[in-house]
This record gives sequence, C-alpha cells and structure tokens, in this order.
Amino acid sequence: MARRGILWRLPSWMMAWRNFKRNRVRSALAALGIVIGVIAIASLGMVGAAIQYSTTENLGSLTNQVTVTPGQDNPNGGLSETTVRDLEQIAVDESVVPQKSSRTVLTGNGNETRVTVTGVTRASALYSAIEGDLPDRLRSGALVGSAVADDIGLDVGDPVVFDGASYRIRGIVEAEGFGGPGGGGRTLVLPVSALPNQQDYSTVTVVAEDGAGAEAFADRAEATLNSRRDVVSVTTNEDILENIQTFTSTLNIALLGIGSISLIVASVAILNIMLMSTIERRGEIGVLRAVGIRRREVLLMILSEAALLGLVGGGFGALVSLGIGLGINELLFGEPMLVFTWNSARYLVYGFGFGFGASLVSGLYPAWKAANDPPVEALRG
Amino acid sequence: MSVIELREVVKRYEVGSETVEALKGVDFYANRGEMVAVIGPSGSGKSTMLNMMGLLDTPTEGQVLHRGQDVSDLTEDELTEERRTGIGFVFQEFHLLPTLTAVENVELPSMWDTTVDRHDRAVELLKRVGLGERLEHNSTQLSGGQRQRVAIARALINEPHIVLADEPTGNLDRETGRAILEEFTRLKDEEDVAIVAVTHDNQLRDYADRAVSLIDGRIQ
Repeated sequence: MARRGILWRLPSWMMAWRNFKRNRVRSALAALGIVIGVIAIASLGMVGAAIQYSTTENLGSLTNQVTVTPGQDNPNGGLSETTVRDLEQIAVDESVVPQKSSRTVLTGNGNETRVTVTGVTRASALYSAIEGDLPDRLRSGALVGSAVADDIGLDVGDPVVFDGASYRIRGIVEAEGFGGPGGGGRTLVLPVSALPNQQDYSTVTVVAEDGAGAEAFADRAEATLNSRRDVVSVTTNEDILENIQTFTSTLNIALLGIGSISLIVASVAILNIMLMSTIERRGEIGVLRAVGIRRREVLLMILSEAALLGLVGGGFGALVSLGIGLGINELLFGEPMLVFTWNSARYLVYGFGFGFGASLVSGLYPAWKAANDPPVEALRG
Repeated sequence: MSVIELREVVKRYEVGSETVEALKGVDFYANRGEMVAVIGPSGSGKSTMLNMMGLLDTPTEGQVLHRGQDVSDLTEDELTEERRTGIGFVFQEFHLLPTLTAVENVELPSMWDTTVDRHDRAVELLKRVGLGERLEHNSTQLSGGQRQRVAIARALINEPHIVLADEPTGNLDRETGRAILEEFTRLKDEEDVAIVAVTHDNQLRDYADRAVSLIDGRIQ
C-alpha cells in the first residue's frame, strides 16, 4: 500500500510544490524575474570585486615602498651617509635605496625635454627594464624613462650628456608602481658618481615585502631616527591606497544599487503573481479553512510557495552568475578560478540571499491576506 | 444528548443601509446516527443555518451547541480545531483540490497534523464508497458522482460527530444523487455520525430520518 512520502511530513512544501507545478509557465516567469535580479546583483558585485582585485594587484608595488626625505629639523637639508646607515640597520629584509636627484634638460629629435635626474646605485629595486639591460648595481652608463626616450628619440646604445660628461644608455625603464622616484617615465637614471657635488642624499626609498612590511618599517624608522627631532620625514602610500580602496568600494555599492533595482522589480512581480494566484484560489483556501486547516498553516503554505519561487529563481540566478563570473575573470585576468575567492564568491551568496529574501517578503502580504480571509466569504469564491 | 443544537438563533446582515434577517429564531437539533434534512427554497436561510452549525459563521443572537458545549466564546483557532476534529463538510460543488489525488484529498483535513497518519483510513473510506480503484486518480479525472464520494470520504476522515451537507445532490443527475444519498444513510450508521443536509430537493425526504422545512428564516 502506498505510504506517505517524505514530502508529506512537510505538508506546506508539498502543497507549494504542487501549486508551483500547476501553472508552470506562470511559476517559471515569476522565478525568471528573481533569476534576472540575482544575476544583476551577483554579476555587478563580481565585476566590482574584479576591479578591486586588479587595482590591488597593480598598486601592490606602490604600497610596499617607504619614502624617506629630510625632516623639518634636519640640519643639512639632506640625508647624510650616517642617516642612510641608520636606515640600513633598521632594515631586516627591506632594501634601502638612497638616491640623489637633480634636474636637467635633454635635447634630441628637435625636441627639448625637462627630466629629473636620479643618482642611484641599486636601480633594479626601483625600476624595471622595457628594453636593454638593467644592472643590479649601476656603476656606469645611464637608464632613461620610456616617456623621455619616446620624446627625444633615444635608444639603447645612444649617448646622453649630463654635467659635461657623456653616458651610454643601457636600458629604457619604467618606474615600479606609478609615481615612484623620478615621476614615472620622465627620468634619467645615472650612477651616484654622476652627482659628485651633492654631499647628501635627497631621498631614500625603502622597498619592503608588502604593504604591512612597509608600514612596520616606517614605524621603526620614526621611532629610531625621530626620537628627539624630526630628522627625517617618513611616508608610505597607505593613504593613496586607502583612497583608491574607498573609491572602489563606493563603485561597488553603486553597482549593487543598480542590481538591487531589478530585484525590487522582480519582487513586485512576485507580489502581483502571488496575489493573483491566491485570489484565484480563494475558494480552495476557503475549503482548507472549512475542513480545519489553521490560519497559520495556510500562511505557511503560501509563504512556502514564495520561498520555492525564491529558491528556484535564486538557485538558477546564482548558477548563471557563476558562469558569468568565470567569464569575467577569464577575460580580465585569464584566471577563471578567481571567482571562487570569497571576495568574489560572496556576491553569489548575497545575490541568492537577496533573491530568496525578496520572494519571501513579497509572499508575506498575499499569505497574510489568504490566511485571514473569513472562510464563509472565501468559500463563495 | 444532541451532537448539534441551535437555540433561538438569529442572524442579521447589513447589506448596504438595509438590515437583512436571514434567520429569525431557529431551534434545531440532530443526534448521532440520524440523518436530518433541512428543506427549503433558495433564500430561505439554509446556507446561513449550515454555516452556523459548521462554525463558519457566528449568530447575531442565540446559541450554537456542539456536543452540549456553547461555542460562542471559542477563539478562531479553537473554532478551526473543532471543525477539523468534529465536523465534516460536503459541498454542492464538491470542492476537491485539483492538485491532489483522490486519496490525498481525503487526507487533506489531517494533512498538517503530524501526530496521526490517516492514510490507511483514507484508503479504507475510499474503498467503502466504491473508489478503491481510483485512489491515485486526480480529482479532474473523476466524474461528478465520484467526486462527491471523495468529498464524503474527506468529511469522515477525522471521525467527526456531524457531517454537514450543502445541496449534496445539487450538481448530480437524479440517479447519481440517489446513490450518494444511499451512501449517506449507510455511513451514518457505520460511522455513528449525525448527518444534516440542507437542500431544496424533496428527494431527500425519502432518505432522511427526519425532515424540517425552513421558510423565510423560520423552521415550520
């Protein structure tokens, strides 16, 4: 003999499922609204997460740098050899790169261009080569920023003249991160010996492992060197990074806001459909109440229908969004699996959650209305 | 003791600015194992009277007693509970749920009650009304007579003390109607239940143990 299935232990869900199947097209259309809403929220959220990820990746090399310049109370207006040695002693794994700087005008190709001259030995810590060669220690020759090279038509092997001496260009470089010493591409990098008139260093750049390492180094330098007077000024790029992160968060919230609108539209559609469906079934609900089904049980039954729409719509929406997320990350970074990092994947969870919640909220009024309809009135249909 | 009793029941409705008195002091009772027909023309207050007995509506004046207890002080949830455990309904339009099979429709009143499993009784009741072969049929696949048999089985599922039937033969041809009435007379003894049928169909007099006439809101 046929026994009650497991579903009979959850009568509200069983009835909701039967009603879901009763008018498949209508149910599917109601769920489709939620699908679209969830896709909008989850996809836009994941786009935001991708933007955040790519800015953090690109700014990583900026945030791990500490810039040390002469402080207010510095007696010589520059950083002495002693100060550099002090910084080297504070450093654990960080590279300490002292620089001298000057300005000059380079000509070529009929153009004249003002450039920053950076005298530095460990150039490789600050720059990366686009063309030619970038020695670990710059003892001879010159490196030139890509923008300058383009402007005046310089190439590897060409000579440049500074302060009466000629240097052969060994490589075309770009600064790590943006900004950096020498203002991006508008720089001429020479060995420290090219600036013999400057006793002291103008800047010391300290390159740490990561942002946290840079912060820690900055704190130690402040504590050691500036205990009594402001000998040095220590800056990190944390503020810049914070600003950028605030911007991307705002962007993300704006994107989610746009996504939420479609979910609101979807929940209004569900409200409408559920209301129509309960009005159509008024007589049936009257029978349920007449044969002794409690108001609470009728309420649960209708809410279960709304929940079912939310589950189906939210589930499909999350699945499609997952596909979209894989596509976005493949396109932008060539790494589709990035979608499974919590930063990105949480928007799938949020999308599903909001979709499910919106359906449930939309079901509240129709459910309450059906449950509290006097059975005598309801039976008349 | 009567399982159902109406004492001086008056029901007034406000229809627009007019007050309509549907029941004008009705006294009525029914006992277990008894089938009572309330016969009257349309507009005589039959349905109103049935709604009072079925705890679907409350009287303006007078008392309704179920198993000797006045129900006027019961809350909505207590009334619902009383309907579920003590009263069975059979409607003119059958009112089966189209999403459920025959046997599921019979189980409907006890569906949310997880403390009992009425499946076996539902199957047995359907067999007794001659639908043993139609258990898993959808209600839309059944004829009018078969649907009314399912409705009768549903009314009896929770072993009520009273079954209220509103024009039970109204949507059936004469022969099918007669078969349904024979079902009632058999089941009232087997189940020891009071059956009150309201109708304008004089055929019911032949099957009822007692018949009363309701005309213009008064028992004649």
